Amino acid sequence: MAFQLISHKDNIAEVSFDFPNEKVNKLSSQSLPALKKMLEDLQKSNFKFVLFTSAKKKSFVVGADIDEIRKFTTKDQYDNAVNVGQSVFNLIEDLPMPTMAVINGVCVGGGCEMVMACDYRMISEDESARIGLPEIKLGIIPGFGGCLRMPRILGLQAALDIILSGKIVAPKKALKAGLVDWMVHPDQLREQALRMASEIVKKNSGKRKKTFSPKGMMAQVLESGLGRMLVFKKAKEAVLKETKGFYPAPLKALEVIQKTYGQDRAKSLEIERAAFCEVAVTAVSKNLIHVFDLTERVKKNVTLTQSSAKAQNVSSMGILGAGTMGGGIAYVAADKGIRIQMKDLNFEALGKGLKHAQDLWMKLVKKRVINDYDFRHKMALVSAGVDYAGFKTLDVVVEAIVEDMEIKKKVIAETASKMKPDGIIVTNTSSLSVNEMQIAHPHPEFFAGMHFFNPVHKMPLVEVIQGQKTSDQTVMTIYELSKKMGKMPVVVKDGPGFLVNRLLLPYMGEAAYLLQDGMSIEQVDRMYTKTFGMPMGPFALMDEVGLDVCIKVLKIFKKAFGDRIQMAPCMEKLATTGRLGKKNSKGFYLYSSDRNVKPAVDPVIYAELGLPQPTNPLAETECLERGIFAMINECSRALLTDKIVDHPHEVDLAMIMGTGFPPFRGGLLRYADSLGVKYIAGQLEKYSQKARRLKPAPELLEINKFYR
Amino acid sequence: MPSSSPKSARDVVLIDGSRTPFAKAGTQLKNIHPALLGQVALKDLIQKTNLDVNSVDEVIIGNTGNPPDSVNISRVVALQSGIPQKTSAYTVHRNCASAMESISNGYEKIKSGTMDVVLAGGTESMSQIPWLMPKKIQNILDQLVSSRTTGQRLGNLWQLFRGNMKTISELMLTPPMAKTAFKPLNGVMEGLTDPFVGINMGQTAEILAKEWGLSRLEQDEFSLRSHQLAVRAQKEGKLKTEITPFFLPPDYKEVIMEDKGPRESQNLEALTKLKPFFDKMTGTITAGNSCPITDGAAMILMMSREKAESLGYKPIARIRSYGFAGLEPERMGLGPAYSTPLALKRAGLSLNEIKLVELNEAFAAQVLSCIKALGSDEFAKNKLGLSQKVGELSMDQINVNGGAIAIGHPVGATGTRLVVTLMKEMQRRQVQFGLATLCIGGGQGGSMILENEGN
Repeated sequence: MAFQLISHKDNIAEVSFDFPNEKVNKLSSQSLPALKKMLEDLQKSNFKFVLFTSAKKKSFVVGADIDEIRKFTTKDQYDNAVNVGQSVFNLIEDLPMPTMAVINGVCVGGGCEMVMACDYRMISEDESARIGLPEIKLGIIPGFGGCLRMPRILGLQAALDIILSGKIVAPKKALKAGLVDWMVHPDQLREQALRMASEIVKKNSGKRKKTFSPKGMMAQVLESGLGRMLVFKKAKEAVLKETKGFYPAPLKALEVIQKTYGQDRAKSLEIERAAFCEVAVTAVSKNLIHVFDLTERVKKNVTLTQSSAKAQNVSSMGILGAGTMGGGIAYVAADKGIRIQMKDLNFEALGKGLKHAQDLWMKLVKKRVINDYDFRHKMALVSAGVDYAGFKTLDVVVEAIVEDMEIKKKVIAETASKMKPDGIIVTNTSSLSVNEMQIAHPHPEFFAGMHFFNPVHKMPLVEVIQGQKTSDQTVMTIYELSKKMGKMPVVVKDGPGFLVNRLLLPYMGEAAYLLQDGMSIEQVDRMYTKTFGMPMGPFALMDEVGLDVCIKVLKIFKKAFGDRIQMAPCMEKLATTGRLGKKNSKGFYLYSSDRNVKPAVDPVIYAELGLPQPTNPLAETECLERGIFAMINECSRALLTDKIVDHPHEVDLAMIMGTGFPPFRGGLLRYADSLGVKYIAGQLEKYSQKARRLKPAPELLEINKFYR
Repeated sequence: MPSSSPKSARDVVLIDGSRTPFAKAGTQLKNIHPALLGQVALKDLIQKTNLDVNSVDEVIIGNTGNPPDSVNISRVVALQSGIPQKTSAYTVHRNCASAMESISNGYEKIKSGTMDVVLAGGTESMSQIPWLMPKKIQNILDQLVSSRTTGQRLGNLWQLFRGNMKTISELMLTPPMAKTAFKPLNGVMEGLTDPFVGINMGQTAEILAKEWGLSRLEQDEFSLRSHQLAVRAQKEGKLKTEITPFFLPPDYKEVIMEDKGPRESQNLEALTKLKPFFDKMTGTITAGNSCPITDGAAMILMMSREKAESLGYKPIARIRSYGFAGLEPERMGLGPAYSTPLALKRAGLSLNEIKLVELNEAFAAQVLSCIKALGSDEFAKNKLGLSQKVGELSMDQINVNGGAIAIGHPVGATGTRLVVTLMKEMQRRQVQFGLATLCIGGGQGGSMILENEGN
């Protein structure tokens, strides 16, 4: 039985939720009817008060069962399921006696909606306790009355803040916002809940329906008719700015709240339900649930379970090379409590690395995410020096020095001699061979690649590169270390550009050909961002990466892959112009030191590259397809023949986390499958009439779908 | 070097030491909290010895400024340096010898077999010693904090306001050092004033200069020597082995590599031109022949011999003995002349067996009178109850890399700095026995005798 009824003195009932055979409580086609039955019994009972508790450790209710939602395809299926949830929560709200939710841990989505149907809410101040409505992140909206009840309880502004961005908040914040009534020590939760229940019973104060009452002039104005209009208008603008119109759910939620705020319950729930069904069947929602699954795979180590190796705990790290990359890695690691020793050849570089980390934390201090004490502790974890002092005590050393194989080999051998015998060295190289570098290590099993993306503190992806001789344990350790650092790791095999850069290169190379064919830089970038949804266009991306790096890597690829990598004549020319991209403020765009000045395309660049003024002769479809399909084409080889990764899942995760590939498209290969691989191969065949480099790969021609 | 004395498993050995660069208070390091100074030195020591922090039994750190936000500063330094939470840490205070007291504490605990690994040291930011509110203002503030009603608050504010008017006139019209009811007290000056006899440390040096007949020129020449030797040691790169570069936040652009005090341009003419600071008419003590007030920290790693051996460390030196002794507070500068014979007796050595000495330079007059006193039969008879003088110290064995007059004297850190500097020079010179000693405000002296481990 999922629910157990326990009776306490003073006629207090406790409904304890214990979802069978799982670690957490879910709302499903199994548990909701059981709850309904229980509520119907309670309705007729003599109990004076009902407590809703969870029998799970540090977890209240994690929401609806995603596995069930995933199977739904039609509006009717959603409508039925939502209807059940809504009516059960109505039953809670309508119970004759007062009710209290006793929140002992995670309480999100449907769980949060459930507690909002209760009269009172008490939460544990445990660190792991969280409450909120993350539905938007899955492309849906709160459907079990959350769109009605949260604005009623918190007021419009606070509710919109949580619902529209899918926020999950800590107990303290929930208390401050008024989402919960009390916060108590985890060990006292039960005792205090029973005490409060007794008091309420004794006072006979009965049911209450918590309704937000604005305090202070400003809040009152914003809750007035005119104020509300303003709040909705501003919220809509913010949503559009954030989603660029690619995500329908937040707008839908806003629409529901606007229509239902302060209105009759039955009608409002109908509006909410209809809107829910409308967004739930969209491809965007399905894709976002797919992305959620991808991240869950990492959390559960799905790709690594075949190996029996166990990860070593990493509590200290050395970083060779204190540039932006080194400083960024130091920041990310020390932020999670890992002790850091940076080593570089000179003090100036080390100072820059220290400052880089310090400034990132200072930003958090200013935003009050961390306090002065946190700042001091984090900063104290980072030290810097020019020698190997202390390297004997380090668990892992990340090498982020100059991209030169011979120098790297020398440094790796030297570093290994200064470390303990089972210390791991990883390289942050983006273009050199891990297999070759590995030879320099006296114990190559303790050597792997750990490829971060720039800027380290913003880009969630880490490519964990397993060289031929890298042990499973080393891979596992670096995989877990990446997760500890708050990153999304993907295990890849060695090969030019590993996974992400290997796919990006043909894409950037193709952008250069679009330029060669008369397209303008801003037009191409606009198509990729505004129509396709990339965070930045290919030219802006190349500026970000560094044009010298792009050209260098293109050459490495040409050597490795031969004919199918070609360099547009304008790219060859680019190498001679002294344009390095963002780092010297001069690339395809000109960058100003003034942050308020938007980068603009340098008007003289076309002439410099030997191109006529752009006439934009190509259709948008062709421009987008050539770039994106070039990636898919390359991916078919990387995945099926070279087996850089094992599953299409890893490709999609890597592209979303490493390049910002639009999550609403579900990732590169899910997007490919949605278009149909046959269509893609056909289009490539067509484009390759003029450009041999776009010829569909044999691997691509062989398959119908990437996901099987 | 003569062969070493017999070894025992419970010998207390010194593995290595590390310190921040020292800088005059109010200059480069003025914004650095003493806990951060200590942390930089301690982390460097842990790193360069590849120390497993789990092996540390205790952290003992000297400090005199007692920052109100880190009253047991040793614990703060320890935790910030990555010492595990399970490991205890405490702060010691014996004025100028606080960081020698920390080592002697560690010595006792290791020698007795109670502990095996101790991190000792000292840290001081004299820049950050606060100004203090006089009692009268404190009382008003206390009332203000505890007043409940607006009326009470206003009443107390009125007192403060009235007080302020008086304060302003006092601040304007009274001499800089004068103590008045409303004038904040300078914490550093308070600390440098003997609480028993009420005279400033500089004035105690004036007494010694007069009683031991030390001329102004002698003192200035000694000060010049301190600068010259310190500059030479810097140039030879000797101090690099004990100083860790200090990255100066918040820009981390400036990296302080060495002590900022020693001046190559220092010359006798400039020194002789300075006016006496404490006794304007007949005095000889100037800012030039005294040590500057200073910021800095120093740390040392100590172990039992058996532990050091099992961990594969090669110690630099072992502690043979230490001694602290007291004397008249107004002659505190003569402290080493009292504590040294005590330490020698405990070590079973005579002064002529000591071939290298670090004698802290609080004041040139104080160092010179100590040398004279140690070499005086009369002093030995009258003050120490000995039949003859303790012994002669030769100038080429004393403070051979300069002293506090050039380098500076961060009160709570100097003791460890002396021991670290001494052991490293003993290693370089292959000297068997060395002495580190200093005078202690309040009328004490501290001495510690090391024996070279030959590594």
